[in-house]
Amino acid sequence: MARFDYLEPHSLDEALGMLEKHGARARLVAGSTDFLVRWRTGVWRPEIVVCMQHVPGLDGLQFNDDDGLSIGAMVTVQDIEQNDIVRTRYPALAAGATAFAGVQVRNLATAVGNVCNASPAGDTLPALLAYDAQCRIVNSNGERWAPLTEVFVGPGQTAVGAGEIMTELRLPTPPPNSGGLYIKHSPRGAMDISAVGAASVMSLASDGTCASVRIALGAVAPTPIRAFGAEGRLIGQVPTDENIAESARLAAQSSRPIADVRSGAEYRREIAQVLTERTLRHAALTALGDVPDFDDVRRLAVQTAW
Amino acid sequence: MTTQFKVLERNYPRVDAYEKVTGRATYASDVYLPGMLACKLLPSTRSHARIVRLDTSKAASHPGVRCVVTGTDFPDFRFGSGALRDRYVMPREVVNFVGEPIAAVAADDEAAAQEAIELIEVEYEDLPAVVNPLSAIGSGAATVHPELENYEGYGFTLGHNVSTLLDADRGDVDQAFRDADVVVEDVYRSQGINQGFLEPMACVADVEPNGRLVIYASTQGPYQIRAALASVLEIPVSRIRVVAMELGGGFGAKLRLAFEAFPALLAMKTGRPVKLVNTREEVFTMNGPRLPVTNYIRSGVMQDGTIVAREAYTIFDVGAYLGAGPNSGIGHGIGAYRVPNFRLRSYGVYTNKIYVGSYRASGVADMTFAVESHMDRIAHELGIDPYDLRVKNALREGDVSVSGAVVPTNGLMNTLEAIREKIDWPRDLEDGHGVGLALCEWRSGSGPSTAAISVNDDGTVSLLTGSVDISGSDTSLAAIAAEALGIPMENVVVSKRDTDQAPYTGQSGGSRIVYSQGTAVQRAAENTVEKLTALAAERLGLPEDALGCEDGRIYVMDNEPQGLTFAQLAAASITSRGGPIIGTASLSSMPYTPVFAAQAAEVKVDRATGQVKVLRYIQAQDVGTAINPMAVEGQLDGGVVQGIGRALTEDQQFDPETGAVRNPSFASYLMPLAIDLPELENVLINVPAPDGPFGARAVAEPPGFGPPAAIANAVYDAVGVRIKELPLSGERVLAALNGQNAEIDFDVDALRRAEGVAAD
Ligand SMILES: Cc1cc2nc3c(=O)[nH]c(=O)nc-3n(C[C@H](O)[C@H](O)[C@H](O)COP(=O)(O)OP(=O)(O)OC[C@H]3O[C@@H](n4cnc5c(N)ncnc54)[C@H](O)[C@@H]3O)c2cc1C
Repeated sequence: MARFDYLEPHSLDEALGMLEKHGARARLVAGSTDFLVRWRTGVWRPEIVVCMQHVPGLDGLQFNDDDGLSIGAMVTVQDIEQNDIVRTRYPALAAGATAFAGVQVRNLATAVGNVCNASPAGDTLPALLAYDAQCRIVNSNGERWAPLTEVFVGPGQTAVGAGEIMTELRLPTPPPNSGGLYIKHSPRGAMDISAVGAASVMSLASDGTCASVRIALGAVAPTPIRAFGAEGRLIGQVPTDENIAESARLAAQSSRPIADVRSGAEYRREIAQVLTERTLRHAALTALGDVPDFDDVRRLAVQTAW
Repeated sequence: MTTQFKVLERNYPRVDAYEKVTGRATYASDVYLPGMLACKLLPSTRSHARIVRLDTSKAASHPGVRCVVTGTDFPDFRFGSGALRDRYVMPREVVNFVGEPIAAVAADDEAAAQEAIELIEVEYEDLPAVVNPLSAIGSGAATVHPELENYEGYGFTLGHNVSTLLDADRGDVDQAFRDADVVVEDVYRSQGINQGFLEPMACVADVEPNGRLVIYASTQGPYQIRAALASVLEIPVSRIRVVAMELGGGFGAKLRLAFEAFPALLAMKTGRPVKLVNTREEVFTMNGPRLPVTNYIRSGVMQDGTIVAREAYTIFDVGAYLGAGPNSGIGHGIGAYRVPNFRLRSYGVYTNKIYVGSYRASGVADMTFAVESHMDRIAHELGIDPYDLRVKNALREGDVSVSGAVVPTNGLMNTLEAIREKIDWPRDLEDGHGVGLALCEWRSGSGPSTAAISVNDDGTVSLLTGSVDISGSDTSLAAIAAEALGIPMENVVVSKRDTDQAPYTGQSGGSRIVYSQGTAVQRAAENTVEKLTALAAERLGLPEDALGCEDGRIYVMDNEPQGLTFAQLAAASITSRGGPIIGTASLSSMPYTPVFAAQAAEVKVDRATGQVKVLRYIQAQDVGTAINPMAVEGQLDGGVVQGIGRALTEDQQFDPETGAVRNPSFASYLMPLAIDLPELENVLINVPAPDGPFGARAVAEPPGFGPPAAIANAVYDAVGVRIKELPLSGERVLAALNGQNAEIDFDVDALRRAEGVAAD
């Protein structure tokens, strides 16, 4: 509940200038959904808060076949959940967005904020990893691009430095004949933090074998992780039940869960396997078929409703 | 629904509906007084420690700070929730749990108050602590209250960490167990539960120019707060006025003194109004929740399913202070059944945790989980259908309840029958799906109740009671008054009240408002009618017994068009011998009236994750006359939702070393949401109560008792694992499915030995 000064820059340069000037005393905020909780409980005590709400040009959510999907820093999780292109071309991300909190929070929370907050349990993060997201990071000297896998450093820690702003996420266009899903495991059907989350995105070759696959897990390691070993097990293989089960087993093996108020470590590992298996099956099943009805995706995305 | 009533048994909106939906209802935190200060509290960081140094000087000189108080600023007086006085309003020397408030600050605003709190310096000397009640009961454990035997109201000799031991016995239990064909024995454990009310505790304290203390409170018991404040502040009751504001939920957590004494003392010291609004974390860590209960239960049964003996030893963790007694352990150890021989024991055991509080029939849900799970275990052990076993043993009219009262006419059998029909029992379901039953029993709440009704000039009436509306009860009281007076609901004005205006009454809790307070209202209305009739008789020159009362008028029975309306009588009363009309009634207790409910859950279990999904939830409750069926169903729905939370997701966790609450937030203490719930199906059984207003029974408590057992029984039916510990989390169910379902360790023989009962 500490006092702070509140600044509202009206351009990116102004925002960067403020961050540079105030250094560690300042905290940048987008939707403030993480910020308010931590400020109120005294975990974060910035003297200055820099809010991006009025910085123009950060709210774009655009897609084209060449560049893929671009998500600006102020794009909310609700924008993503409601977007038809996301629902059809990036179904695992749409699932992550729909499994996220509840409508009120989704209306404020940004996907980039979810990334920068770097909770291992962030619900958009496994899908963003599974779509191979690239991050644009700017500072007063210019900009750089970093793959999302390199952005996560530890729980709540990222490669985004003090005085830097992540302005955009870019998700390459998924290959043809691909499907994907994110499933969240939480005791409650909404407004709950994931005990485990898993996203799989798979594309099939014309012979029915797996041409590409990315599997990512949330809440089972200090950061959201890719399960590279599990992916390797499937590439070039027909995604039979056996192959999928084996891949899911490998994914669970690569996890390093902890025990906390939400669940025990061993249970998390078991669930990681179940969710990986279910997301892979769904990805394989929908890679060739029609885009599933989004109401069905909603039900699938939240494990309690399975 | 056809009905003999003019007002009752119909759905009508709440008398305060407009205030609530427009947001105009005023809660304690809506009170703003000129010059008001903000109060913040400093919680203890230790589970058991002596306060060696408590230096508030930096805090006191912080800008904006007006006053800082600590335990020694209060009179040296221990208070309690019952007879035993085990608790200082703020500890003087020793803290007994993490979170216990040890200092309070009043400042110009909340930020300054919080800054000052952080400037207070505390040095502790740790004392040995005990967190697990099953260890605390043993002789080797640290002692929470070494001075217990010197506390006022201490009346029991097991001592050490045992605050209370209650017993109930009937028949020759040991012989009955020897005669039984089969003996079934279980240990169950239920978790800590937060009441989960929406509005955190809040209050504003103000000192009137004449020195009287005024408390604007969020409370279920204004008179109880007044009495407790008078003791802990050592001022006469008459010097305190408690204004009960709108209540945003309490469920038992606001029955007694909470934190009102802190702003009160700060207001007395500064002469300024002081407001305290708790944060949700403070609600979770400072104000008593329910604590875990361990329940050993054993039954002797004949082959045909007749239960002949029951033994139950129940350990209630009461935390640092006895905030609510372990009465349900003996009151509900046999459930809704006739059991000729029983030995029931109920222990309240101190630990260094947050003190236990009340919650919607404290402990009965824990007891029902054990008793009703155990009933299914017996059924499966004997190969008897669980429904038939319940019917066979269910209490009948004329049986004797645990407390010794004779069971009057009731609808228990009707509730069972209704459930059977609704779910089409017995059902054969696909794999992973299951159905489970539970019976719930409670009694209509009693206690001091008063009401006054005055007749207004226009023939309407004003109803005054001292009870706080916690569940729409004002609406029901208005309906009872209207029915008894023969006037429409709209003609009853329900006054808002404080302890200066309204007559004394018991707390709003324990399902007692409609049943007991409602009876007082009915009698006050009858008293009003008597007075109106007397006046009419005088004016009409007829004997009273020639007159009747209907539709807001007193009429001549032989000549109905002749009569006087309430408005005419009100006008006449002003100059009459008896003066303006006011009817009153008082009562102290009501006869035993049981409330029974049967419930059924249909679930599916995800074998891969262990997650349980409730597909259907059905309850049939004997509510007697349904004063307002819509409101009755609201209570039934709300109770079942709380029960489903208790069954599946709610779990107040405590650090095993320090006893600190591990999940003091709604983000980690998981109450169910709409998305988690099935459509709730309610059946109202209407067997009128012999007593109670127009045959109404209590309603509010029993709905929440059944879900843990009904769902556990359904899980067993679905996948064949018996979970004896709450909540039925995916993790717990999956472990059981994987064959890792540990029995709960509990040394009942040690307890039997301590009491000199032979172990067999
Ligand atoms: C009630 C509630 C429920 C929630 N439920 C969920 C849930 O189900 N799933 C889930 O994943 N999360 C959940 N959250 C957490 C939170 O909503 C998300 O992490 C959200 O995505 C954060 O976005 P924001 O815009 O609100 O971030 P903010 O709170 O504004 O910022 C979060 C952090 O990211 C940094 N940051 C934000 N934007 C940038 C940027 N462009 N460049 C650099 N740094 C930046 C901030 O400095 C801060 O450290 C919940 C939160 C609440 C309060």
